Parts: sequence; C-alpha cells; structure tokens
Amino acid sequence: MTLFRRFGLPERLLAILLLVAGVDFAANTLLFDRASRFALREDDAARVAEHLVIASRAIERTTSVDRARVARDLSTPRFAFEWRAKGRRASGSVALAGMREQILDVATELDRADLQLHLKSMGASGNIVGSVQLSDRSVLQFETYASNAWTLNAGRIATLLLPTLVLVVLAWVLFRATLAPLGTLVRATRKVGAGPPVAVAEQGTEEVRELIRAFNAMQQRIHQSMTDRTQSMLAIGHDLRTPIARMQLRLENTGLDSETMGDMTGDLSEMRHMLESLQAFVETGGSQLKADRLDVAVMTQTLVDTAADEGRDATFHGLESLEIIARPVSLRRALSNLLENALHYAGSVRVTVSRDGDTAQIAFDDDGPGIPEDRLDDVLQPFVRLDTARSRDTPGMGLGLPIVHRAVTLEGGTLQLRNNKDGGLCVLVRIPCAIG
Amino acid sequence: MEHMQSPSIVLVEDDGPLRTLTARALRENGYTVRTAATGAEMWVALEGEPADLVVLDIMLPGTSGIELFRRLRRQSDVPIIFVSARGSEEDRVLGLELGADDYVAKPFSTRELVARIGAVLRRGNSNGSDSAGDSGQRSGDIHFEGWTVSMARRELHSPSGAMVDLTGAEFDLLATFMGQPQRVLGRERLIELSRTRLGDSSDRSVDVLVSRLRRKLSAAGGNAPIVTVRGVGYMFRAEVNRA
Repeated sequence: MTLFRRFGLPERLLAILLLVAGVDFAANTLLFDRASRFALREDDAARVAEHLVIASRAIERTTSVDRARVARDLSTPRFAFEWRAKGRRASGSVALAGMREQILDVATELDRADLQLHLKSMGASGNIVGSVQLSDRSVLQFETYASNAWTLNAGRIATLLLPTLVLVVLAWVLFRATLAPLGTLVRATRKVGAGPPVAVAEQGTEEVRELIRAFNAMQQRIHQSMTDRTQSMLAIGHDLRTPIARMQLRLENTGLDSETMGDMTGDLSEMRHMLESLQAFVETGGSQLKADRLDVAVMTQTLVDTAADEGRDATFHGLESLEIIARPVSLRRALSNLLENALHYAGSVRVTVSRDGDTAQIAFDDDGPGIPEDRLDDVLQPFVRLDTARSRDTPGMGLGLPIVHRAVTLEGGTLQLRNNKDGGLCVLVRIPCAIG
Repeated sequence: MEHMQSPSIVLVEDDGPLRTLTARALRENGYTVRTAATGAEMWVALEGEPADLVVLDIMLPGTSGIELFRRLRRQSDVPIIFVSARGSEEDRVLGLELGADDYVAKPFSTRELVARIGAVLRRGNSNGSDSAGDSGQRSGDIHFEGWTVSMARRELHSPSGAMVDLTGAEFDLLATFMGQPQRVLGRERLIELSRTRLGDSSDRSVDVLVSRLRRKLSAAGGNAPIVTVRGVGYMFRAEVNRA
C-alpha cells in the first residue's frame, strides 16, 4: 500500500489503464477467443478427418507398388501425404490430444488406424504432422497446417499484446502532457510569499485550469494580506513616533530629578529603538533601494572603528578592501546588529573579513556564552528571545538576527551561527563578490 | 551675513502639540521661531521675512512633502533640516538627494535637534567664508583622482564605483581637505575645522582620523592623496574638480 502511495498521478493512471487492458485481454482470451478457437478447431478437425479418410481409403485400394505414387498424387500444397511400407512412428504429442479427439469424433474409423498427431518441431510454425496405420500395417504420413488457435506461442501473445503496449506508451505520453500544468503549479506554490505574486498561466484541462485560477486568486489574497500586515505594522510604527516625540519634549520640561529623567529618557529611547528595529525588519524584506557596488571591508572596518572609539573592545582583521554588490543600508544595519550583539552578550568581538573564492566572508567571533545548540535555528525567527522574560535586559524586540538574516538573504548570501569549540559564538556572513 | 539677533527658524509640523513643544524648546535655546501647520502656511511665513533655516516634517498633509520640498529648493537656498516620521533610510536618502542639509528622525530630543540646527547653521556660515561656493559645496559632486564625493548624500565612491563608508568625522575631514587642495593645513587648524563641522567636541586625535582616511583612500590600491608635512600638518595633493 505504501508502495502504491509513492506512485505519482501518471503512474496511478497508467496502472488503472493497465488493469483495464489486462481485464479486457483476459476477457477476450477466455470468452471471445475461446469461442472462436472452438469453431476454428472444429473446422480444422473436420478438414483433417475428411482428407485422411479419403486418402487412406484410396491408398488401401491401391497395390503396394503404386501406393507411394498415389500418395504423392493425392498431396496438395496444403495437405501432403507420404506412404511408407513400414517404419517407426513417433507417438502423438499430448498437446494435440484435443484435436485427435475431435478428428476421431468425425471419422471413427481412424481410431482403428491408430492416428497419431504431433507438431512439426522445426520449420513452418503451427504445422501438424501425423500418421495413420493402414490395414496391412504400412504407414501413411501426412503434413498439414493447423490454425493458430491450436498453439498459444510467444509470438501470438506478442501479437495480441502489441496494441496494448502501443496504447500504454501513448497513454503515458498523454498523461504526462495533461498533468504537466500541475508540476508548474507545484513549483509556483513553493514560491508563494517569497516575492510579489506571479500569476501561473492557465493551461491544461478544464479541471486543471480551474485549479490554476483558484491558485492565482489565493496567491493574490495571500499577497494582499501580507501587504496589509506590513502596512499596518509600518503605520503603527509611524503613528507612535509623534506621541513619543511629544513625550520626549514634555519630559524635558517637567523639571523632574535627574535620576527619573534619565530613566524615562532611557525608556523612550528603548521604545524608539523597538520601532526602528520593527521598521527595519519589515522594510528589509521589500526594500525599494537598489543594490550598489560597495566596499564591505571598509564598511565593516568603519563600524568596528566607531565601536572602538566609544571605548568598546572590537578589533578588525583581514582584508582592507573587498567589493561586493549589495544594498548598503540594509547590509550596514545587518553588520552593525552582529557587532552590537557580540558586544552586548560577550563584551568583545573580533571581526575578520576574508575572501573565499567568489564569496566575501565576514566573521564575528566572540568569547561569550554562545547559543545552546538546540536554539541556533530559533534565534533567526522574529520575536524570539533567548533570555527569559525575567532576566530580560536586551533592548529591542528579538528582531536583531532576523533583520540580519533577511538582509543577507536579500543579497543572495548566507548567515551561519555556530558555537566555537573553546567557547564563544562565531557568526559567519557569506555574500557573493562583485564580478570583475 | 550678520547675526546680531538670534537665528530665525521656520518650523513646519502638522501635529499641533508637537509643533508647540518643539517651538518652545527651540525658543528656549535662543532661536526665533515661526511655526506653520501646512505648506501654505510655510509660504506665508517665508514671504513675511527671510529665515535662516527651515525645519520641515516631510509627511505633511495636503501638498505632498516631496513636492513642497522641491518647490522650496527651487525658490530658495535656505538650509533645510527635514524631520521624517517614518525614519526610514529611503526617506533619509531621498531627503538628502532633494537637497536637504540634514535629517532628524522622530522621535528626537531637544538636544539632538538643537545640535543639528547649530551644525547646519555653522556649516552655512563657514561655507560663506570659505573659498568653496556654498551651493556647489552643498549638493554637487566633487571628483579627485577618479574618486567621487557626493556632498548631498555624504558619500564617497572609489574609482571603481564602489561606495566606501566614512564616519561623520572622516567625511568632514575629507571635505576640509578638498576645500583647500594643495595647501598645507596645520594640525591645529584641522582640529578646529573638524570640531566646528562636527558641532561636537571630539577628543579623537586628528592623526588617527587622517590615518584612517588615508587607509581607506589607498585600500583599493594606489597611494592616498594626503601627504604629511613634517612638523606642520598635512596636505591634500590631488587636484579637485567640482561638477
């Protein structure tokens, strides 16, 4: 059953066709063919019986000197006789027992003549040879054709199966052609949500066209709902900015003690930071900005220098110049996020820019606690935070790495996180280099 | 341009309470402020008497912010700081392309806004006194030895066309060098210029900034066009073309 489930639609249809053809073949063989075969056999038997009776009577009445000549005279191209005074006779073959019975039904006198039949081993297919014993124990041999119905040989099976085989090949080709639009549909389904919807061309049978129409409509609805969601997230972000700006300015006029002021300013700046990361996350997916040639080594080094100037432990190693094609804004934000992450969780970071064939590599190594192996994939999911709610001390909404992931993917690159053997996390960004 | 009285600012902001709060904060910092809720009100405010600077919220209702921006740029050279409620990079790049002098994302603190206004006003003043033309300095591209510097976007592109990131301080230093090519600049003067332009005192030594800038200008091969004049300072030896 599992094997059957593994079959594709064309295979199943073909199996059904084969089953139908098989049943048809069996029915033909067993019913129709059998009936016609009986008719043919009876004709054959009667013909053989008549010839044999006439020939044996004629030869019986001839002197033994003339018998060989008379036997030759009685021969026709389709029924040859040969008389011998004596000789060894091959015993009849079991396969032709049925025919023998039928011949004897027609001509009972041949029973006494000890009729023996067998198939001619070589030469013309389906020919029957046989012999009868005359009253003086001389032997009359004969050779005649028999209808194909007597023998169900391989050639005959092939002849009967040939139309079925042609039918199967034709059916296979037609099934594949009919089902091809489904393959297109499957490929299109895999891409839904990964970009603006591309309508699948309507083709194939009416049912398949119906399916494609439904799919295209569904694609539009999904895209619309994703766009709506993006727009509402951006709108929320946008609308919150004005009240936060008012709070910020009002706070400056309250004359609160400096500690409360500092705390509230911190709260407002965290809210601002959250809005920025939310916006960055939403916008990185569908950035309107074009990709440009840029020097990723200089970009990385500039970020490291800026962090180092702020008194933080960031060092830069590797290439001084490496050009790639990328969207500068989102890439800069991605690299900055990785730098900030490492500095936040580990307190120090070593950034190395290198080139591996046609790929630019930017590695961020730290000596921090790393990420539990079973959470390495989770941290790329939006709104996932590794620190529990109680120990939460990281600003933002758990969008830092998802933003990086989106930005790097947008440039056709990859983001790898792995724990170093001697502790610490290594984050590796790989982006294709500029050609030339 | 003389500045006997306090600089005059036109503030365009559609949110009433925020407009009041911002105007008050700016007045407390010594600026004369006229406010406008719409583009039409802005034109009225500008016709009455000239302003030293316009603070413009780009997502105004009515006339699209961008259209308003273009018209303002066409009709006047007044420095513009635009406030983006969306705070997106697209907005920032668009604003600077349209000829804004600086950009502030909402929400902002008074300190941040005042620092930006101060820096833009100082830049405008020093441009007036420098030999470099002010409009060219603000928005045009400057070329040297195949490199391109976009003053509007504050970007540096290498001879191969790749964007080369600079920190704000590094860009200001490069701008200073390009403003005085083939002239020896003393270290003290560079420190002073950098500080003015940054609007923020920096204890980073000019020598570190110069060496970083040199490294970036020579990273893709070739020699950096900044030479050390022993005991005096530095000289930008490349020929500078303004396009």
